[in-house]
Amino acid sequence: MMIDNPYLPIKTEVLNVIEESSNIKTFRLKPESLLHFKAGQFVEMSIPGRGEAPFTPSSSQYEKDKLEITIMKAGRVTSMIHSLKKGDIVGLRGPYGKEYPLSEFEGKEILLVGGGVGLAPLRALFLALVHDIEKYKNVLFCCGSRTPSDIIYKDCVLDKWHNLDKKRIKLRITVDRKDDSWKGNVGLVTTTLDNLDINLKNSVSIVCGPPIMMKFATFKLLEIGYKPDQIYLSMEKNMSCGVGKCGHCRLGNFYACKDGPVFRYDKISHIHEIWD
Amino acid sequence: MIPERTTLNLYFINKPNLDRLAKSLSKTYKIFAPAKSDNKRFYKEIGENGLVDSVIGEIRAVEPVKNFYFPARTKVAEYFSKKTSDKKEKPIAIIGAKSCDLASFRVMDYVYAKEPFRDPFYVSKREEGLIISSDCTCYGETCFCVAIGIMPYPTENFDINLSEIDGGYVAEPGSPKGEKIIKEHSELFQSAEPYIEKINSNRKKLKEDLSEHVKKSNIPPKDSVQGAFKSKFDSNLWEDVAKTCVECGACNMICPACHCFILMDQKNGNNFERLKMWDSCLLMSFARVAGGANPRKLLAQRLRNRFDKKFNFFLDTIGVFGCTGCGRCTEACPGKIDIREVLSKLQRS
Repeated sequence: MMIDNPYLPIKTEVLNVIEESSNIKTFRLKPESLLHFKAGQFVEMSIPGRGEAPFTPSSSQYEKDKLEITIMKAGRVTSMIHSLKKGDIVGLRGPYGKEYPLSEFEGKEILLVGGGVGLAPLRALFLALVHDIEKYKNVLFCCGSRTPSDIIYKDCVLDKWHNLDKKRIKLRITVDRKDDSWKGNVGLVTTTLDNLDINLKNSVSIVCGPPIMMKFATFKLLEIGYKPDQIYLSMEKNMSCGVGKCGHCRLGNFYACKDGPVFRYDKISHIHEIWD
Repeated sequence: MIPERTTLNLYFINKPNLDRLAKSLSKTYKIFAPAKSDNKRFYKEIGENGLVDSVIGEIRAVEPVKNFYFPARTKVAEYFSKKTSDKKEKPIAIIGAKSCDLASFRVMDYVYAKEPFRDPFYVSKREEGLIISSDCTCYGETCFCVAIGIMPYPTENFDINLSEIDGGYVAEPGSPKGEKIIKEHSELFQSAEPYIEKINSNRKKLKEDLSEHVKKSNIPPKDSVQGAFKSKFDSNLWEDVAKTCVECGACNMICPACHCFILMDQKNGNNFERLKMWDSCLLMSFARVAGGANPRKLLAQRLRNRFDKKFNFFLDTIGVFGCTGCGRCTEACPGKIDIREVLSKLQRS
């Protein structure tokens, strides 16, 4: 019996590169064979012969043959990825890990809390929710960015998404520091969690962002009254092989790559070092 | 308790016949057996000379058996090509593997051979390979297998096991593959009847001697190791242990149950290839992510992580320790960190 080689990437073409901010770009990709992910799952993207890193796609899971990945320039591999141009060839493996459990969100008031490039997985989740919006009571998407120019998906976050379904879908946008053009909220993303018009008993919240933001957003949600089993986190760990073998992304008795990266907070709250 | 072995399913093979068996198997397998050098044992490929230089008894080799199934460096992809390997090599047979190495297959098989993602490179070696193991006939200074519930003689994961006795070995098949080999070479085997009692008493004696030796280390009873580890999670024990650690990763490399690796991509001519290489959880970069966050910035955290994985994680996950008591890490450590001493400190306040 032939076993599929889990380390072999799929040849993938870069269709387009979108500049989101000074250090964040979205890459529109077309893999040679289908790679069908669900929102929250991740893929391994490689520059042939140079290196590989894990990313959660930011596009809709309902788009069958293409996907988008939003990447912040942060290290060796992401710097190489940032120099990619339309037509370049990359490698993709996956999808890996557990997706957001959409069926558990049905009939609920859904609160998404995202910071910086952490909006990427939440965009995929948001698009999946919007796709079947009648299944959910409503969605509030709280987005935090450092400055107005750091906001990613600007045309959506600042415009289009506000007009999707005014009754069911609301957004709260904030920046840590404003500039002259900014007329909106100023403050950390946690400030958007004040005065929520949500029935907490029938709500779930999903958080994604840099570790420090995830920590304080989670603590704020607990303070507001969310129970640990109503909070979902996307944990950023060093997911290298993606298939639970290489050992890098261990989180207590879990591997973020196969048991996560989406975890319900009550399942991991006892683990040391989760916020680091 | 030592299970009494009866004559059922046991055979005697004398030394010249074992040599003949090895020569016959060499048509099918590439064979490795330990040979002595500088008073240590190292695996050596068996050539035309057969087993003359081989040490079947004594204790484990310096290098762990994982080397053969999960080599330090394996090419795992030549992308974007679907073909897996260039040429078919003979499968590997190991003669003289010891119990501490065989016990590590519980961990390795769980990591590499379990659904849904099976590692084809490991799985094919495991399925095609042959293991002719052997009882330890003595113990090494750093050996402590019995302290964590592993016997100094194989009890699992072998095709044939050999228990050394004057002039030869008592052979016990441990798998259909092993039974078939014995059947196919039945002319080389005799009745084991006269040797059974002696073999059983040899095992009993070695187990007692090793238990006596291990007692000096004050290792907590195996059922309380995990609890002891948890109780010391937040103590300064780890900073103390880390004082002499130089982050070389030798303990990881030499450990039969350390399975972590890193994928490295490189150019090879016009092709791109991906290598799977052993990695060490003691290195600073092991858990670091691109943004710079690192859940184990401190060496003490990384050392603790090694013990966490071995004496907590694997016990919860698969019910066995990720340590087999082989003592190789203690021998390999330039900082003189003795795993037995660390374990003993877990229960002291």
